[in-house]
Amino acid sequence: MNSRERVFLTVQGDPVDRRAFSLILSLYGAKLTNCPLSEYYASPEKYLAGQRAVLELADPDILFAPFALPLEARAFGCTLKHFDTAPPNVIRPACKGLSDLAALHAPNVTDDSGLRYLVEATRLLVREFGGDKPVAALLTAPMDLPAPLVSMGDWIEALLFDAGKREELFSLASDHFVALATAFFEVGASFVVIPAMFTNPQFLNPKLVGEYVIPALARAFSRVPGPIVFHHGGNPLVPHLGLVRDLPNVLGFALDHRDSFAQTRAAVGEGPVLLGNLSGPHLPGFSPAEAYVRTRNIMLTLACDPRSIFCTSSADIPWSTPLETIKAVVAAVLDAGKEGA
Amino acid sequence: MSQDLHALRSKLFDHIIEARRDQAVELLTIQGTARSYSHAVHEILEPVLVEIGERWANDRLSLAQGYVAGKVAEDILVKMAQASPHSEKSRKGPVVIGNIEDDYHALGRKMVVIFLAAAGWEVVDLGNDVLPAQFVDKAEEVSARVIGVSAMMLTTAENIRFVRQELDRRGLSGHVQLAVGGAVINLRPELVSSLGGDGTCKNAIQAPDLFDTLWARSLAFEGKTA
Repeated sequence: MNSRERVFLTVQGDPVDRRAFSLILSLYGAKLTNCPLSEYYASPEKYLAGQRAVLELADPDILFAPFALPLEARAFGCTLKHFDTAPPNVIRPACKGLSDLAALHAPNVTDDSGLRYLVEATRLLVREFGGDKPVAALLTAPMDLPAPLVSMGDWIEALLFDAGKREELFSLASDHFVALATAFFEVGASFVVIPAMFTNPQFLNPKLVGEYVIPALARAFSRVPGPIVFHHGGNPLVPHLGLVRDLPNVLGFALDHRDSFAQTRAAVGEGPVLLGNLSGPHLPGFSPAEAYVRTRNIMLTLACDPRSIFCTSSADIPWSTPLETIKAVVAAVLDAGKEGA
Repeated sequence: MSQDLHALRSKLFDHIIEARRDQAVELLTIQGTARSYSHAVHEILEPVLVEIGERWANDRLSLAQGYVAGKVAEDILVKMAQASPHSEKSRKGPVVIGNIEDDYHALGRKMVVIFLAAAGWEVVDLGNDVLPAQFVDKAEEVSARVIGVSAMMLTTAENIRFVRQELDRRGLSGHVQLAVGGAVINLRPELVSSLGGDGTCKNAIQAPDLFDTLWARSLAFEGKTA
């Protein structure tokens, strides 16, 4: 059974030879190949080389396209800063605020170098590994993209107090979201992963989430020509699953490390796939032995849920994570598989 | 507490969590005009902010609701300053705050500035992408006893340890307390000690209490009392 079969049987809830697993090692591929990040996040070939090294190291069942959401913001005009050991990040919005929205223009996926990089890296991964492994592409949720474009404070201001600007920004972000997701599926992505912050009542008033954000998000999701994994976005998902569980085209949910698989399953029913929940950002603080034990404990909780996949949660596994810690996580997953957990 | 005061606080709380900013400010303005802005801020707004801060820290309120609280506090401070422009009341500080080198996530810091100012603190805000030495230079220049450093991501939070090293190098640790905060600190509280921080709080509304504590700790370090 190869990874593709293992993952697709898991989606159907059918028996598999062992638990499917993955780790978010998008960034880590650069470390493994000694590739400067300014090149890694610009050259699809270098990204591919990094993911070849990831395969050597961990052989995960799912491969991830670049986890570099700020490249989308840059396509709208945001200024990015590159780091030596972390993905690029936005340091300046694309316009001067809500009074300057005319300065914003939706980029064309084929014209912008950053968007072309994201799509081409996905295409190369699919071409080389797609027969054996599903490839997942990541993109910014349409209700989150306006935050870097106009600044977080201005986006909250629009969401709360300015329905016109809110609608204008959401429409712009939605059109981009659908175009980029479509491009990913056209080059063979198996599914897209959407980290979502502004659906979470920790970010936004629950009433506004329910009355505005979810209906708008449902309209955007319904235009995406493929399956979506709804990612927790850095905060626990369980408390607001009731709001998001019926969004269209959602294949599954990526859980936060503080979420409970059992509670999530109870909230979403038998159908969706659940992925998670070893915290990727916490890994540098774990010894290999600790990482092994934590992974085994999670594997135990997954044992009775056929539609679940072990994965790291939150953002990329940090650069500073020792190689031995990653190997320990993989060993724990495979050892659990041998023992039938 | 009178029934009226309780009702006013309750109404203000509802206005803020339902994002009725204008109505919240109007309520406080009426009270400020009728009695005094000191009464409106200290007897009505502050207790409500404490309640909101606690709920927010326990994940029972959202960032947006905290944002509205900040905007209401900011609006009423402006009105208060206009009503009594020469009032010095009991100013505290100064303190120095900023986002650490390479960090550009300004919202949390700006909210901290608002709530510190509302609590009477004189705040020197250095903005985004502040070098460790700049924090300490400014603290020395203005005789600040507290430096507040914000970081959103692990990568940038790592730079906070250089603020601690700079304080140590200049013999200022203890005299100058280091407050640290931001999303990654909330996610990984163990970072407070590993980065050399003296304290943290979970959200901007709780910053004034933290700065009170750290200021008092600095005085105690020098054998003084507040």
